[in-house]
Amino acid sequence: MVRHRIASIAGVAAWALLPTVLPVHYVDLLVFSAILAIGGLGVGFLLGQAGIINLAQAGFYGIGAYASAYCIVTLHWSAWIGLAVGLAVSAVVAAAIGWPILRLNGHFLALATLALLVIFNALFLEWDWLTGGSLGISGVPKISAFGYALDSPRKFYYFVWPLTVAIFWLVANVTRGRTGLAMRAMRDSPDAARVMAVDSTVLRAKLFVLSALLGSISGTLFAHYVGYISVESFTVERTIFFLLAPVIGGLRNPWAAIPGAIFVALVPEVLSPLGDVYRVLFGLALMLIIMLFPAGLLGRWARSDGAH
Amino acid sequence: MTSDLVFQVLASGITNGFVYALVGLGLSVIYRGSNVLNAAQGDFAIVGAMVTVVMLDRAKLPYAVSCVGGIAAGALLGALMERLVVRPMLRRKATDDSMLLATVGLGFLIAAVILVTVGKAPFFLPQFGGEKSVDLGNVTVQRHALILIATAVVVVGALALFYKSTHLGQAMKAASIDPEGATTIGIDVAAMRTATFVLGGVIGSVAGILQTPLIGVSFAMGIAVTLKGVAAAILGGLVNPMGAVAGGLILGIAESAAVLTLSSAYQNIAAMALLIVIMIVMPNGIFAGATRRGG
Repeated sequence: MVRHRIASIAGVAAWALLPTVLPVHYVDLLVFSAILAIGGLGVGFLLGQAGIINLAQAGFYGIGAYASAYCIVTLHWSAWIGLAVGLAVSAVVAAAIGWPILRLNGHFLALATLALLVIFNALFLEWDWLTGGSLGISGVPKISAFGYALDSPRKFYYFVWPLTVAIFWLVANVTRGRTGLAMRAMRDSPDAARVMAVDSTVLRAKLFVLSALLGSISGTLFAHYVGYISVESFTVERTIFFLLAPVIGGLRNPWAAIPGAIFVALVPEVLSPLGDVYRVLFGLALMLIIMLFPAGLLGRWARSDGAH
Repeated sequence: MTSDLVFQVLASGITNGFVYALVGLGLSVIYRGSNVLNAAQGDFAIVGAMVTVVMLDRAKLPYAVSCVGGIAAGALLGALMERLVVRPMLRRKATDDSMLLATVGLGFLIAAVILVTVGKAPFFLPQFGGEKSVDLGNVTVQRHALILIATAVVVVGALALFYKSTHLGQAMKAASIDPEGATTIGIDVAAMRTATFVLGGVIGSVAGILQTPLIGVSFAMGIAVTLKGVAAAILGGLVNPMGAVAGGLILGIAESAAVLTLSSAYQNIAAMALLIVIMIVMPNGIFAGATRRGG
C-alpha cells in the first residue's frame, strides 16, 4: 500500500512538473491526448464492457463542438450554455437514433454507426447557416476557469487533465457498480442477462447516450482549445482515432484509454518529421497491434478487479 | 422539373448503381467465402484505379494494358491480404470484431501508402469509348456509362458461371459451405480462401477502374466506396452475391430520387439512411425468402 501511495504521489508530481520541462508543442499534444481520451473512453467502455461498437463518435464530437461554437460565436451565449446545448443535442440524437439501431449486433451495428457518421458529416457540410459549411467557425473564445483565462497550452493542460481524470473516475464507477455487472452480463450472455431481469434494450440505449455525451464533452473542449472548427475535424479518420485509443490501450479496463490516447496523439507527431511516410508507419503499427495484441498493448496488465 | 431531367438523373443513378453493385459483389464474394466483412474492399477499387492511372499516365502504356495491370494489382492485393492478415488472424482465433478492425486498419494503411507513393491529388482516367454520348429517346447517356453497365453485367454473369460450372468455383463454394467436409474430399480450404480474396480483389479493381472516368480517384476515397458497396451487399442479402446487383441498383436509384427531390448534397444521406433502415427492417436483404444461406 505504501509503495502504491508513493507511486501515485510521484505520478502526480511528474504530471504537474511535465509542462514546465516539456516544449510547448508537446504540452499541446498532451492536451489533445486528454481530449482524445475522453471521446475514446466513450467508445472504449461501450465496446469493452457492453460489446457495442460506436463508430459515430466523431459525429457526437462534432455536435459538441458546433453547439459550443454556434452558441458562443453567433448567439453570444456563455460557454456553459454551449456545453449544455451540445450535451442535450447529443443525448437526444443518440437516444432517438440509438433506440432503433442498437437492436443490431456485430458487423451491422458497426456499419450502422459508420453510416450515421457519414450522415452527420454531410449535414455538417450542408447546414452552413449553423456550421459555416466548408469555411467552419472561427473565433471560439478561450474558456476561463475561476476568472483565469485558459489561453495557453500549459494553462489548458492543468485544467483539462484533472477534468479528464474526474470523468474517467465517474465512468469507471459506473462500470464497477450494478450497471457494470449488467453490462458485462449482457455482453457475455444476452439470454442469461435477460433471465436476470436486465432490460438490455433500455440499458444499451442508456450506455449509447453516455458514450455520445463523452464525445460531445470532448468536442466542446476541442472547440474552446483550438478556437476554430471545420468539417475536416469530424471525419472517419477522427472516429478511427477515438476507436484506436481504447483498443490500443486495451478494452478490459476503461482507464487504459488514457495511455492509448497518449500513444495515438504522440506517435504520429513523433514520426511526422518523416513527412507523409509517418502515416504508413502508423498504419503498420496499427495493424501489428490489432494482429498481435488482441487485448491491447496493456492487455496483460490492464485487468481491473471488476472488469473481466 | 422536366421529365427529361428526371430520366437524366435516373440514368446516372443506374450507372452509379452498377458501380455499387460491383463493389458489393466483391464484398459479398469475400464474406461468403471467408466470413470476413472486408472494410478495405473500397481500397481494392482505389488501388486498381491508381495502378491503372500510374501505368497509363506515368509509364505511358496503352490503356488496355494499364487496365490489365490495375486488375492484376487488385488480385495481388487480395492474395496478400489473405496470406498476411486474414490467415494469421484466423490461426490465432481472432474474433469477428478484431477481424473487422484489422480490415479497417488495412484500409488506413493502403490509403497511406497511396498518399506517399502517388500523392494527394485526384486523378481521372479517359472514358471508355471516348467522350461520345448516345441518345436514348430523351436521355443522353455517355458511351462510357453504357460500357460500364455492360462490363458489370458481364462480370456478374461470368461470376455466376464460374461458381456453377468450373471446378475451382465449385471447390471454393464447397470450402465455404462446409470446410471440414471439403477437407475430407481433398479440397485445400486455405487455398480456396486465398482464391476468394483474389476474386474479391479482381472485382473490386474492375469497379474502381470503371468509376474513375466519372468521379476520379484519390487516396482517401476507400472507406466511402466500401460503405456504398456494403449498403448494396446488405440490401441484397450479404450471403447472396447476385443480390448485391439488385441492391446496388436500388441504392443508385434511391440516391437519384434524393437528388431530384432534395438536393445533390442529400445523395449520401439518402444512401446511408437507406442502409440503416434496411439493416433494421430487413437484415437478410430484400430477397431473404428467395435465397438459401450459404448457397
